[in-house]
Amino acid sequence: MDELRRFARELLLKKEVAAVIGYEQVGEARTRPVVITDPDECRRLVLNEYCLNNLVVYLNRARIKALARSKEGIRKLAVVAKPCDIRSIVALIQENQIRRENLMILSMNCHGVVRDFGCEFNGDNLAAKCISCNTQSSTYADKSFGEVREIPKFTGKLEYDLSEIEQLPPSKRMEFFREQFDKCIKCYACRAVCPLCYCQRCITDKTIPRWIESSSHSRGNFAWNIVRALHLSGRCTGCGECERACPMDIPLSLLNRKMAMKSKELFGYESGKSTDNPTLVGSYDQKDSDELFM
Amino acid sequence: MKIGVFICHCGENISRTVDCPRVAETCEKIPGVEFSIDYKYMCSDPGQKLIKDAVEIHKLDAIVVGSCSPNMHERTFRSAAVAAGINPFLVEIANLREHCSWVHEDVESATQKAIELVRMAVEKVKRDKPLSKIKVPVTKRVLVIGGGIAGIQAALDVANAGYDVVLVEKEPSIGGHMSQLSETFPTLDCSQCILTPRMVEVNQHPRIKLLTYSEVEKIEGFIGNFKATIRKKARHINEDICSGCGQCVSKCPIKKKAFSSFEEGLAYRPAVYIPFPQAVPNIPVIDESVCTYYRNGKCGMCVKACDRQAIDFDQKDTMMVADVGAVIVATGYKLYSIGKQPLGSKYKGYGEYGYGKYKDVIDGLQFERIASASGPTSGEIKRPSDGKEPKKIVFIQCVGSRDPAKGISYCSKICCMYTAKQAMLFRHKVHDGEAYVFYMDIRAGGKMYEEFVRRAIEEDHVNYIRGRVSRIYEENGKYIVKGEDTIAGVPVNIDADMVVLASAMIPHDNAPGLAQKVGIPYDKYGFYNESHPKLKPVESTTAGVFLAGACNAPRDIPESVAMASAAASKAIILFSSDSLEREPVVARVNEDLCAGCFYCRKVCPFGAVEVRDIKDMNGVVYKEVAYINQGVCQGCGTCTATCLSKSIELAGFNNEEIFAEIAAL
Ligand SMILES: Cc1cc2nc3c(=O)[nH]c(=O)nc-3n(C[C@H](O)[C@H](O)[C@H](O)COP(=O)(O)OP(=O)(O)OC[C@H]3O[C@@H](n4cnc5c(N)ncnc54)[C@H](O)[C@@H]3O)c2cc1C
Ligand code: SF4
Repeated sequence: MDELRRFARELLLKKEVAAVIGYEQVGEARTRPVVITDPDECRRLVLNEYCLNNLVVYLNRARIKALARSKEGIRKLAVVAKPCDIRSIVALIQENQIRRENLMILSMNCHGVVRDFGCEFNGDNLAAKCISCNTQSSTYADKSFGEVREIPKFTGKLEYDLSEIEQLPPSKRMEFFREQFDKCIKCYACRAVCPLCYCQRCITDKTIPRWIESSSHSRGNFAWNIVRALHLSGRCTGCGECERACPMDIPLSLLNRKMAMKSKELFGYESGKSTDNPTLVGSYDQKDSDELFM
Repeated sequence: MKIGVFICHCGENISRTVDCPRVAETCEKIPGVEFSIDYKYMCSDPGQKLIKDAVEIHKLDAIVVGSCSPNMHERTFRSAAVAAGINPFLVEIANLREHCSWVHEDVESATQKAIELVRMAVEKVKRDKPLSKIKVPVTKRVLVIGGGIAGIQAALDVANAGYDVVLVEKEPSIGGHMSQLSETFPTLDCSQCILTPRMVEVNQHPRIKLLTYSEVEKIEGFIGNFKATIRKKARHINEDICSGCGQCVSKCPIKKKAFSSFEEGLAYRPAVYIPFPQAVPNIPVIDESVCTYYRNGKCGMCVKACDRQAIDFDQKDTMMVADVGAVIVATGYKLYSIGKQPLGSKYKGYGEYGYGKYKDVIDGLQFERIASASGPTSGEIKRPSDGKEPKKIVFIQCVGSRDPAKGISYCSKICCMYTAKQAMLFRHKVHDGEAYVFYMDIRAGGKMYEEFVRRAIEEDHVNYIRGRVSRIYEENGKYIVKGEDTIAGVPVNIDADMVVLASAMIPHDNAPGLAQKVGIPYDKYGFYNESHPKLKPVESTTAGVFLAGACNAPRDIPESVAMASAAASKAIILFSSDSLEREPVVARVNEDLCAGCFYCRKVCPFGAVEVRDIKDMNGVVYKEVAYINQGVCQGCGTCTATCLSKSIELAGFNNEEIFAEIAAL
């Protein structure tokens, strides 16, 4: 932790970066994002099992991008990112949203995070995405902090099991998702936290023509959630922030995970794996499966 | 907005299943429709006049025509609209024929559907915006691919009309198959004698840039504005200083390692070679695969022989780019290789005829070389096996052709003629020789062609036997040809000294590969498709790409030349104005909304999407957005569908218009 603070401070002092995006502690079992431009403020930075947010989402915010821009040109931004968050960076680089050379990636040797703020870090409370995680560090990091420790074995119980839902007959599955999506209040928190939802104007906000019913009516809710899943297929890196942000506790990542599984199964593609890969959408191979055509 | 609806009966094509008067009546009640009428032939002159008059009388702003496919008559009705003073893009066609009357039987439901189709078109036309045509410049230069007689003719015609030509030939010399032929039917004039003056003319023409030993790597762009990338393969000879003296060729110690493909494998050639004496350009090529220098770095006899230091072992392939406005593809054919089909070939081969096994069973091109004054036997008819003069030759027609069981169902069209020619040549050269021809039918349609075959039979006493050959085998130094005379109904056995197989003309192995680079379709054999079999025989379906010669189908020389001149004139017509008018149906990016993910750029099949920098007031780029080159965009709409934030609109088919159509259903 001290090492990170020292390192970040140096970066700011030497003006190597315009800002550091990181986590600060608020209370015992909770952190929040912080954007630091003053070197002395770097003492606020922390790295622990409560660093839940995917800070990559901030890299594409106009206000933060503006920090990096000056008369002289573009300066770097430093971001604290867990190895899984770095996958979002990779995806954003593939989609021309950020440039690797404008970025300083400060990562950690990760041993998992809690499923939610406030709970104790142990096998029972391990975040779902950490259960079968095998990337405890990332080759894309400029520097990784913290010691290497094992991820605790998951001993809790998942609320929704994707494989169980897959087994349901179509009508039951429909019923399940209708019930879930009916809860949606169209607050778009899922969209706001998603690092890959960077459109300047989301399709749901378009009115001429109106693609998606905007009141939180069941029909529009369904449309929104399906559009979200489809627009993220082959792109979602599985950070799970949408689900964590949803105030109505809709298991949003189920569809995303299903689409990711399909991408891998049909095209051998995993989003956020390598900046050298052509993106799944937009690349074509004669051997591509056509199973998705209806 | 006042809309006019015009419902066409298309004779009975539509009115048979659609109650046209009822459609017209019902549609008059759609809000916005001022006038509605049905008529027997809307595309006819009176029909168009009806539209024009209605526009004037009812002060219409837009029109909907319920008729055949827009593919047929959209242009007609748009012109009628223009004549009446309406923007052509305020015309919508509801396809009541292909989409309705032709595919339904029940009058009631077809009529209902027709009404719905018109209603959709009305809702769309309400939102249509007037558009004006886009002008794109034309590069007045032609790329000709293939330097056989077809490519040569096309290049000369275009160049003589005053336009630049880039002629790309993959072999070291131009000339194609015609340069290998002995004499040509139906006049028996010497092939080389009529061809070489044209080859020389190509080489000397100030408007023709000749690139031999070169291949097209890719072609981008569109009619009037293609960009071709060409690979110039390393000859290992500096073309600028080589004088073509041939010293290197005669000094090369590799004499018997490589067969000459020009001589169809009947002779050897050195590692450094000029394919044939009249080659254009007269510059050798070093074949790396057999040259000793490339094997062990030694030898270099040619370097010593060359007093101009033109040998360049280190020469590498070079790439060049040519901007052209039109492309003429003239890549010709090859012969079906009888008996020795490569593994995985879709053709079966003729193992039973012993080609490849018996040295004196040869194909038509090999016979051309043997009969050719410049060939390996200096024009004397000698068998490849022992150099003896054959006294009895059997010619077999339709080898490969017209034989679906062996993979080809078409007639190669030229073999009847060249077989007659070859049998005749043999009889002229070997007076006591006997020639036999096995044929299925004789196809000699063409000016002086039938007469030519009759001459072979009647004057030169060539024996024509109608029937197929089942097998050829060797016995006591003779080739026993076992066949059947189907007219007499008896089996025939001929003990021949030599057998010539008239094998089928097929496309080059790489024909589909080139088609994909150029972007033109081909048939199941690999022949390039013409746009219309009757009315557009030299146009490919890709605008600005034309076809000439045997790459399109089996063709003889006169046909190849005629096609070449036709293709050349098509290109010249294209160049007759300085710019082309293009439909304004192109995509446009909303730069404010574009997030710059460039998925559109990845999916655009025409490479129309460019990157545009958006700068802040200090001139620092803060955003990159997509920009669509209006000249390159073909309006396919792929980008529009891909854009996640729907920041691209296709003019004439924008989201609002399409939504309105769907909502009207
Ligand atoms: C045995 C025999 C005898 C014949 N006798 C007669 C006759 O007497 N009279 C007559 O009218 N016709 C005759 N023909 C037919 C004649 O050969 C053809 O009509 C004629 O050669 C067709 O010309 P072409 O230019 O279309 O094709 P080709 O002559 O095949 O020329 C095509 C050229 O394109 C080049 N090429 C191929 N692919 C590429 C590529 N990818 N890039 C660049 N260059 C490429 C080739 O190297 C070649 O130089 C005979 C044919 C045969 C087989
Ligand atoms: S041209 Fe004559 S020999 Fe050739 S395939 Fe046709 S019919 Fe047979």
